[in-house]
Amino acid sequence: MRSTEVDEQTLYQATAGWLKSAVDTLKGAGVEVIAPVEVDPGVIELAVIDSSESVVLDYTNVRLPLKRFFFPITEVMMEFEKQTDGDVLMKSEPLASPKSEVVVLGARPCGVAALEALDKVFHWDYDDVRYSARRERTTLISFACTKPDPQCFCTAVGGSPHGTEQSDVLVFLKDDGQALMQVCSDKGAKFIEQLKDVVKPAPAGTKPPAPPEVKAMFDPEKIKTWLDENFENDFWTDVSLKCLGCGACSYLCPTCHCFDIVDEANWISGQRRRNWDCCSHPMFTKHASGHNPRADQASRCRQRIMHKFKYFPERFEQIACVGCGRCVRACCVGQNLVSILTDIEAKANGGNNSDAE
Amino acid sequence: MSTNSTVTESLQRAASELLSDVNIAVIIGYGRNGESPFSHPEFVRKPEDVERLVFDDRCFGNLAVYLSKDAIRRMGKIGIVVKGCDLRAVNVLLREHVVKREDIVLIGVPCTGQGDPLPHKCSVCEQRNPQGCDIVVGDPVEQPQINAEQKYSDAADIDAKSIEERWEFWSGQLSKCIRCYACRNVCPLCYCKRCIIDKTIPQWIETSAHLRGNVAWNVARAFHLTGRCVGCGECERACPMDIPLSAINQKMAQLMEEWFDFQSGLSSDEKAPFTTFSMDDSDTGIL
Repeated sequence: MRSTEVDEQTLYQATAGWLKSAVDTLKGAGVEVIAPVEVDPGVIELAVIDSSESVVLDYTNVRLPLKRFFFPITEVMMEFEKQTDGDVLMKSEPLASPKSEVVVLGARPCGVAALEALDKVFHWDYDDVRYSARRERTTLISFACTKPDPQCFCTAVGGSPHGTEQSDVLVFLKDDGQALMQVCSDKGAKFIEQLKDVVKPAPAGTKPPAPPEVKAMFDPEKIKTWLDENFENDFWTDVSLKCLGCGACSYLCPTCHCFDIVDEANWISGQRRRNWDCCSHPMFTKHASGHNPRADQASRCRQRIMHKFKYFPERFEQIACVGCGRCVRACCVGQNLVSILTDIEAKANGGNNSDAE
Repeated sequence: MSTNSTVTESLQRAASELLSDVNIAVIIGYGRNGESPFSHPEFVRKPEDVERLVFDDRCFGNLAVYLSKDAIRRMGKIGIVVKGCDLRAVNVLLREHVVKREDIVLIGVPCTGQGDPLPHKCSVCEQRNPQGCDIVVGDPVEQPQINAEQKYSDAADIDAKSIEERWEFWSGQLSKCIRCYACRNVCPLCYCKRCIIDKTIPQWIETSAHLRGNVAWNVARAFHLTGRCVGCGECERACPMDIPLSAINQKMAQLMEEWFDFQSGLSSDEKAPFTTFSMDDSDTGIL
């Protein structure tokens, strides 16, 4: 995810007004363009745009994570209808592709990097055709992060405000409306080619700006060593006391990917839908028998940390966290993932925990 | 942000005395985490830990929500820090027999409002000095007179819209709902062991985040809280999608006051309109 070494061959210079040209060119070619816009006062969200005028460039991050364009909050998987002869007609929802190409113009590097975790899950033991189709048709143009806030911690989990992981192009915006662009993939090269009137190879010697500082607050490897040994520990009860299991952290998380499948029907017809779900809710693990293997909030809080920092790395060699800080900002009781992780790290370092050994 | 050091000191002293009394197992109050924009719920179980407790102008949370949590109740007798608005929620929990009065010690804190600028619920608060607590820390504060027009101004703004405009407004707002249920989980009065949304045989309310499901969920939430909601505003504060739920709560409170002369949570022995019958009841609907 780090972008310390940049090949000059991949750097391009965009003239002022490139954004309008880009949106007009893409729209003209029938491409759906998604970009950051202000949806509520002070709230920036990625949304489908008609013109470049509504695009907001000065923001820390968008409210809902990028994942929703690939793994929607709710989506139809299948429709069914009872026929007059008593049979039931079932039809799969037409897949997302190849309706049109999509360009996301202005995602943040952390949100884009999070897709690597989702890619692994949705291509794991089964290729999720809906996710893959959306992913395939989408080009991701990231805007380098210029003003991380105190809740950001991407550097602690291997990221960077200038990370290029999963991005097709990383754009460094300049105050005068110009931009420097770093091509990161074939899709990115195609995007640059489409804009050749306003985007030219950068002069020799051009360097991207240095990333803003985001302090690395913990070491995930140390944390994992403690998690490996402490499935049973009073720590989980202590950290979960104030957690209300409200789910806001999971729903806003760019890497959380759990879902529920439901049938919604009237007497005649209905739909099978896939909806976002959340391991903080008791119903998430409740069995048909009535037994619940995660019956208390302590076990659910533990699951959230274990999944991101132990189970996921063991299975996919990657932490399921990109340090965007949404969970910290959203928590209404001040539950702070960074505080929890730094506490765990202190225990791993032989701090005030007698159970760590 | 300012910490009220006089109140904090009195609070810590009272908490220490209560914890030294073997009957009190835990004090639920507020604590500070340096960089946090608000003071978070804090659970203190030993007298030597009372210095973790603070009272400042960022004590947003309604701690009454913890009174129905099994993990807290198992500890034993609870001391709880309450502002006037929080006390109203405690009164409803007492009225509905969720907690027993003898199982809790109420530590009241006079409060002139939380946050800067003050949220609407604080600027129209009529309960700045909590009544009926076991202990009050801090001096009484001035209580301004509030009229109904001020109290229900958000609801009035929506009432001023035409039916079509109202639908446009609410369908726009409720379309944002992502069905995380933060509004439910943060609510001190949503204590059902199994919420109607979690009942699947049959599935009374669709869980999908489409407008139909979102409207059904939010209407069900409002129905279940009408005549009970105390207007603490925690649902709106917790909503990650910034849906103005307080406007719905205000409307519920306004109708209860107009039709039944009732404000929820002013005392623990009040007779709630939905659980009592009177020949004088209005026969109009409630919504």
